[in-house]
Amino acid sequence: MEDRLRISVSGVRGKVPGALNVEVASQFASAFSSYLEKGTVALCRDCRESSRMLSLSAISSVLASGLDCIDYGRLPTPFLQFSLRNSKFSGGISVSAGHNPSPWNAILLLNQEGHYLEAAEGNNVFNVYEAGSFDKAAWNQLGHISKKEFPLDAYLKILSSVVDSSEIRKAKFKITADPCNGAVSPFLKPYSEFFNLKMVYINNEIDQPFSHPPEPSIENSSQAQAVVKATNSDLGFLLNSDGSRLSLVSDKGAALSEESTLPLCLISLKKNITTAVSTVATSSIVDWAADICGIKILKTRVGQSSVCHTMIAERAEAGGEGSGSFAFLPFSPGYDSLFSLTLILDLMAKQRKKLSEIISPFPDLVRKKIKIKVSPVKTYRVMDQLEDKYSKEHPDFTDGIRVDRKKAWFIIRPSLTEFILRIMIEGQDLESVNSIEEEIKERIET
Amino acid sequence: MRTSDLKISISGIRGIVGQSLTPQLILKFSEAFSSFIGEGEIGVATDTRPSGSMLKYAVFSGLLSCGAIPVDMGILPIPSLQVYVKSKHLRGGISITASHNPVEWNALKLIKNGGFFLSPYEAEELLDYYYQGRFKRVAQSGIIKKEGHPFQIHETKILDFIQGDLIANKQLKVIVDPCGGAASPYVKSFLEQLGVEVKCINCGLSNGFPRNPEPLPQNITALSESVKKHGADIGFAQDADADRLAVVDEKGSPIGEEYTLALAIQYYLNHKQKTPVVINLSTSRVIQDISEKAGVELIRTKVGEINVSKKMLDTGSKIGGEGNGGIIAADIHACRDSFVGMALILEYLAVSGKKTSQLKSALPYYKMIKDKIKANFNDRKRILHLIQAKFDQGQTNTEDGLKVEYPDFWLHVRPSNTEPVMRIIIEGKNDRLVESIYSEIKECL
Repeated sequence: MEDRLRISVSGVRGKVPGALNVEVASQFASAFSSYLEKGTVALCRDCRESSRMLSLSAISSVLASGLDCIDYGRLPTPFLQFSLRNSKFSGGISVSAGHNPSPWNAILLLNQEGHYLEAAEGNNVFNVYEAGSFDKAAWNQLGHISKKEFPLDAYLKILSSVVDSSEIRKAKFKITADPCNGAVSPFLKPYSEFFNLKMVYINNEIDQPFSHPPEPSIENSSQAQAVVKATNSDLGFLLNSDGSRLSLVSDKGAALSEESTLPLCLISLKKNITTAVSTVATSSIVDWAADICGIKILKTRVGQSSVCHTMIAERAEAGGEGSGSFAFLPFSPGYDSLFSLTLILDLMAKQRKKLSEIISPFPDLVRKKIKIKVSPVKTYRVMDQLEDKYSKEHPDFTDGIRVDRKKAWFIIRPSLTEFILRIMIEGQDLESVNSIEEEIKERIET
Repeated sequence: MRTSDLKISISGIRGIVGQSLTPQLILKFSEAFSSFIGEGEIGVATDTRPSGSMLKYAVFSGLLSCGAIPVDMGILPIPSLQVYVKSKHLRGGISITASHNPVEWNALKLIKNGGFFLSPYEAEELLDYYYQGRFKRVAQSGIIKKEGHPFQIHETKILDFIQGDLIANKQLKVIVDPCGGAASPYVKSFLEQLGVEVKCINCGLSNGFPRNPEPLPQNITALSESVKKHGADIGFAQDADADRLAVVDEKGSPIGEEYTLALAIQYYLNHKQKTPVVINLSTSRVIQDISEKAGVELIRTKVGEINVSKKMLDTGSKIGGEGNGGIIAADIHACRDSFVGMALILEYLAVSGKKTSQLKSALPYYKMIKDKIKANFNDRKRILHLIQAKFDQGQTNTEDGLKVEYPDFWLHVRPSNTEPVMRIIIEGKNDRLVESIYSEIKECL
C-alpha cells in the first residue's frame, strides 16, 4: 500500500527501489527535457544513497533530448534555485526528498526562474510523461555534460546585501549545527568563516546515513538541544536533507517549533516586506507576527509550488510555511534554510538580544501535528466523509478541511508526499486541542 | 514488412541514436546485465562516438540500480577492456561501441568475468532478465570508481610478450589509422614503444568518424596514400573499437583482411610456438594451408568471437581468429585484438627482413567473394535448401548456416541473427570459378 509513486508539482516521489527507480527517473527527465525550451538543464542531488543513480539516469535523458546538462553534484535545492535565478538555464532538476526519511526519494522539477513548477505547468510535463513520446536528438545533436561548482562567494555577497553582515560578524555567535548529514554540510564551514561564527557540528558527514529523520522538528532536536546546553551555544539549528527547511534550538537549549522559523524571518525582514504568503496549515503565530510588523498575510494551499506562485501573482515579497520554510523573492526563488538562518542571526545581532528573549513575546499556543496512515485508495473517501461531517461549521476548503473554532482551529488534509492524512490542531490550551484530536480520530475511524 | 533498426539479440543491444536507441532502453539493458551477472565491479568503456557520453550515464545508473559498482574506464578499445576485466578479476564489463558500424549507431557489448563475451546460452538468459524485467534493484546504490590508466595492463602484456629490440633494430616506418576510434588516444605511443617510427592519421577525436570505420580496402584509401607518400614499410587500420585490423603493404595496397590474420598466424606458428589453430567456418583456406604446412591441427568453429575463444581455451590453442581481421593470441588474451596483431606482424617484418608485400605474396593465393543478400526471415530456410540441393556433391556442414566444401572451392551461406539478409562467402583458387559459383548461388534467390 505504501509503495506507490506520488506525482505532483512537489516532485515525483516514492520509495527506492520500489515505486521510484532509475527507469521512472529517466522517463520523467525525458518528459521534462522534451517540455523545456532547448538550452541547458541544471541538475543537483542530495546525499541519499539512491540520489546518485537517479541523477545519472536523469543526466542521460537530458543529453538524449538534445539539451546540455550542468551537474552541480551534491547541492542543496535552494542553491540550485539560486543558480537558476542568476544564470540562463532552461530548467532544473533536483534529486532530493527533502524531509522524507531514507527509502524515499524524489525528482523535483524547477522552471527557468528556479521556482517549483506551477500546477498547470506540472500537469503539462506529466502529460508528456504519460504520452511517452520524448524528444530524441540525433547522434550529432546530443547535449553535452559539464560539472560545475556552486559559486558560494557570489551567494554570500548577495546575502550580505540583505543582512548586516558586519553586525553578525561582530557578534561572534557560537552555534550548534545539525545539517543531518545533508547537502548543506560542505558549505557550513565557509559560511561560518564568512560570518565569523564558531560552529559546533553534529551529523555533519555527508556520506553517512541520516542519524535521525531529516525533518527539522522538536522531536528530532534532542541531540542539538544537548549540545547547545553543553557548549553554551547562542543557538542551535536543524536542516532537512536538501537545505530547504530550518528549525531552531534556543540559547536555553529549548527546541523551538519549526512553526517559529517563518515568523522570525518576517520580523527580521519587516522593513523589506509589505505582503507575505503563508498557508492555511501554518500556525497563527505568523498572523501575530505579521500584525506587529504591519505585513499583510495571504493564505494559500500547502507546498512550495502554490506559495511561490501566489507570491508571484500577488506581488508578495516573501512567503513560507510552518514546516520551517521561508523564501524572500528579491533574494532567491525558493525556500532556503541557510538564508533563513542568516536572517535570524541578523535579528539577534541588530536587536542585541538572545533568541530566547526574541521569542518570549510569541503567543503561547498549544499545537499538535498528527499523521494518520490511510490507504491511498481510501484517502479521498475519508476526506469526502469528513467534509460532510464538518460542513455545518463552514470549513475553509483552500486545502483539505480547515475549521476555526473559538479556542482552537484545525486542518485535515492528505499529504502531498506521503500516504498519510496530516492533521494540525492549534489552540489556547491543551484541553481544547486534545478534545479536537479525539473528535477527529473518532470521526475518521467511524 | 517493417523492421526496426533496434537489434536486441544474443549479441547485445544495438540501434540508431535519436531513433531507437533511447536512454531508457540502455538503462533497462544495464539493469538486466547487472542483475544477471551479480554484484561486483563492472568496467565501463566507450569508443569515441559522440553518443558515448549520453549512453554511459544510463549504463552507470542501470548498473548502480542493481547493486553493481561501475568502473569508469573512459575511452578504451574493447580488447583492452577484456584484458582489464580478466587481469583485475572484475565481475564483468560493458563496452559502449557499435564497432565497425557507422557513427549514428551505438551498442552495448557485454563482457563476463574472465574477459569473455557471453556464450549464446548466457545471452539468452540475460535476455530473459531484460524482457521479464527481472531486475534485482537495491535501495542503496554504490559509488563509481575511476580508472586513470585503463590501457596500461593491455599494453604492458603485449610489450612483455613481443621482442621489441628486434623490431627497434630495423627502424621500421609505420602509418596507423585508428579511424578516430577507441584506439586513437593510445595507438601512437604503443607503436613507438615497439620501437618503430609512427605517423598517425585520423588520430584526433572529432565529432564523427573521418571514414567508414569498417577497415575494408575501399575505406582505407587515405592510409594507402599516406604509406606511399611517406615511404612507410607498412600501414595499419583499426575499426572503432580496435578489435579488427587491416594491413596496407609498402606499395600502398591493402592486403585484405583474411591475409592480416594469415600473416599473424604464419609468423606465430613458425617463430613462436607450434599450437593448434582455431578459426571460424567463414575464414580463408589460406590459414588451413599454413597450418598443414606447419603440421598443426586446424579447428573451425561457428562464426563469432566467443565461439573461437572458447574453442581455443578448450584445445589449448594459442593462436587463431576470424577472417575479418580479428587476430586472437591467447598469450595476451583469447579475444580479437588489433594491438597484438600489429605487434606480431611488425615482429614478422623484423625477423624475416622482408617487405610486407613479399610476405603476403609468399602466402597461397585465394580469391574470395563476400556479399550480403536480402532474404525475408521466413524465406531463408527454403533458400538454404535450394543451395544445398544445387551443391550436393561437396562436403556439407550445417553447424552455422550452410557450408559446402569442394576440392577447388567452398561456399558458406549464413542467415543473419538480426537482419533479413544472408551472408555469402565463396572462396577458391580460380577467380572465374569463384565468380561463376557466386552467380549460381544468386540464381537460387
